[in-house]
Amino acid sequence: MSKEENLNTDTIYPKVREIIADVLAFDESEIERDGSLVDDYSAESIDFLDLVYQLEREFKIKIPRGMIEEEARRGVSDGEFEEHGRLTDKGLERLREYLSEVPEDRFTPKMPVNLIPTLFTPETFCKIVVRQMEGVEPVASD
Amino acid sequence: MFHFVDQILELDPGHHSLGVKHVTTGDAFVRATGGGGSVLLSCIIGEALGQLGAWNVMAANDFAMRPVAGVVGRVAITGEAKVGDTVLLDTTIDSVTDDAVFYHAAASVDGETVLKLEDTLGPMLPIEQFNDPDELRNRFARIFTPDAPAELPLSGGEAVSPFDASFDEVLSFEPGKEASVVRTLSGDETFLADHFPRKPVLPLSLLLESLLQLGQNLLDDGDTLYVPRGARKVKMNRFVEPGSSLVAKVHVVGRDRENALLRFLCEIDGARVCVGQAEYSAKPGERP
Repeated sequence: MSKEENLNTDTIYPKVREIIADVLAFDESEIERDGSLVDDYSAESIDFLDLVYQLEREFKIKIPRGMIEEEARRGVSDGEFEEHGRLTDKGLERLREYLSEVPEDRFTPKMPVNLIPTLFTPETFCKIVVRQMEGVEPVASD
Repeated sequence: MFHFVDQILELDPGHHSLGVKHVTTGDAFVRATGGGGSVLLSCIIGEALGQLGAWNVMAANDFAMRPVAGVVGRVAITGEAKVGDTVLLDTTIDSVTDDAVFYHAAASVDGETVLKLEDTLGPMLPIEQFNDPDELRNRFARIFTPDAPAELPLSGGEAVSPFDASFDEVLSFEPGKEASVVRTLSGDETFLADHFPRKPVLPLSLLLESLLQLGQNLLDDGDTLYVPRGARKVKMNRFVEPGSSLVAKVHVVGRDRENALLRFLCEIDGARVCVGQAEYSAKPGERP
């Protein structure tokens, strides 16, 4: 694959889906691109460790732990993002913007911060892989 | 005793280590073979490789964090370690992060590989939850003796009860197809004293050994003997603590004259504890 011309989530999705199916012990055909890894495929913390490691190895990238939440929080203070462990309206808006691939109805007002991983989909990881392969920082927009 | 690295010969922190395990008489983790001898349980060889990796990363982080069993991409059983043998343990750390160690490893006897671990992942957790860090430091100081000659195998120690790999209750058993069994961890099991002193939990290695033996019984058709060749994609999702009743379901996915493949799923109260696949090679005409 030519990195400059063909690197996008569509081109890497087949491999990402294969890895996700393998890690979560599902058939590839059962993996939906916008499925919730936690709610639909029962992913647990050990699965996310495994998944990130397999993606790092396959695509020869580094995926910093906690990267998704860290990037979603960028540009807003902790107090603006969450209150007593739950997302503020602004936090929810930021997260929705950052995880634009996640269906709208899965974002709930004041959702607990520790449930953010329940939003992650195969597409979320495709985006991370592409971003890390390109080495481009996401643009924060307020 | 649930410590299986008798001596560490080399240690490059965060990268690589070499160690030895002597297979001795009176070991609780040996099984009798058809020829009248005894061999170390294969999964204990895997445990020894994992423990060598754990010593490496614990020493590298000054005993602040320790790995626990997580994922084993592949276990390949290619030989045996008999009583009297010295097993050379060789563990390579592929990477260590704040939350996990990734490694691969091989064990050999007299230059012949007997077991390999590939794509192994261990979550890193605060050591204080599991062990007294000073006790581990002291043990490490005793076994990390690269300049000393290899210690002589211990023998004739106090008699210990052999590890019982069977399950407590059989819920269903259909030869050649599936089995569903229960094992309850009572809390009296001797291995819990070391695994771990502050958080006794069932070792993945012993669970896997029990599952491999269960699968062997399931495949037994009275004619062809199927022997465990290894396991794939073994994942431990949560700890099995004393008082927990583990339900293990094993089913035969495929079987021909040369090979068999089984899948297993272990749960506690419906929550997934361990999943994986077990592989067997057929030995026509050979009986235990």
